[in-house]
Amino acid sequence: MTMEATLPGHLQELRRGTVVVASLMVLREPGYGYSLLETLSAAGFEVEANTLYPLLRRLEAQGLLTSEWNTDEARPRKFYRTTEAGNAVTDVLVTEWARLNKAITDLDTTTGSRK
Amino acid sequence: MTSLVDRYVHTALRRVPEQQRADIDRELRASIADAVDARVDAGEDRDAAVTATLTELGDPDKLADGYAGRSGYLIGPELYAPWRRLVTTLLTVVLPIVVVALVILDVVDDSSIGDVIGTAVSSTLNIGVNMVFWTTLVFVIVERTGTVKDKLKVSWSLDDLPRYEPSRVPIAQLAAGLVWPALLIAALLWQQFGIGETPVLNPANWSFWWPCLIVLLALQGAYQVWVWRRAAWDRTVTAVNTVLELAFAVPLIWLLNSDRFFNPAFHSFAKVGSESDVEHWLTLLITVVVLVGTAKDIYDTARRGERARRGL
Repeated sequence: MTMEATLPGHLQELRRGTVVVASLMVLREPGYGYSLLETLSAAGFEVEANTLYPLLRRLEAQGLLTSEWNTDEARPRKFYRTTEAGNAVTDVLVTEWARLNKAITDLDTTTGSRK
Repeated sequence: MTSLVDRYVHTALRRVPEQQRADIDRELRASIADAVDARVDAGEDRDAAVTATLTELGDPDKLADGYAGRSGYLIGPELYAPWRRLVTTLLTVVLPIVVVALVILDVVDDSSIGDVIGTAVSSTLNIGVNMVFWTTLVFVIVERTGTVKDKLKVSWSLDDLPRYEPSRVPIAQLAAGLVWPALLIAALLWQQFGIGETPVLNPANWSFWWPCLIVLLALQGAYQVWVWRRAAWDRTVTAVNTVLELAFAVPLIWLLNSDRFFNPAFHSFAKVGSESDVEHWLTLLITVVVLVGTAKDIYDTARRGERARRGL
């Protein structure tokens, strides 16, 4: 198989899960579906609306997000905010991310020095 | 005319649990409106913006699956292997046994050969389809109920590894397998020619059925030697054994139950009790013994073949 055929799959595997971490981090400040989508794509996360919207509800069901309808404006919007539990999970995930990043960097330098 | 957005939201909500519908309806509409507004602000025509937004959201059924937390498959990878094993066992072991039992019942009932073939074909299709359908249905339900699924997860250990040892038939089993047909052939010949009295079994069958059964018994002896030399059990052995067993059992049961088995001129049963009673009970007894014995032998050989094939 050529690299063009396998690369998208590997990238998808690697990116899976990063949207959760990013969403939990962004929503420490309350936000609604479309605003989060915009923030994430501006930050460089490739995420589709049809994955993000159901994901928000799933995280809410897990108690990591809480939501509230804001009807002050002409268009009522559902605002999500990261809960205490959500923050705790985010910290664990971010720590793990940092550990993996360091591990990968270390591997790269050790194998690099052997060359 | 209903707007595109209405049609899209309706379609997506159709497949979302009732109690979530109102909330998702509101949220989804707001999200779509936000996206459309953003596109319009960027200079797009409103209709084009709606079309682009909805196209980007994609198949509403998939979106509904996401909202409802449904998996896009019937049986996931965790349950696929047990499902496949069970369906294979049902179709290759249980189905043949059931079909054979039905065919034997038909033969006992003295049905025509056409009816027997009809029973075989229709029951194979009918029962086979039912087996696969109901098994799959149960697995689909289990896939969607967490606790049962966790219990079904089989933990694997090194003891499950196949042994791959050759399975030679013990010499004692070979001897038994040879002596038994020989004894039956001897008994069959003896009661006709040896006693010098009225034979117990119907002499009319010497025109075809008794010689046929003798040949089959001889073949069973040959089969025992063949299996012993082969020293391996597999599907070929299972198939040969099944054919041999059935070729013997089916005519025998038919002869018994169509009053062609005992010699009508043999009256010594009257010494034991009412002649028709004794014949009736003997017929029943032999039928049951042959049925059970045949079924057990076919099952044992098939099971052994399957185990050997998997290396157990």
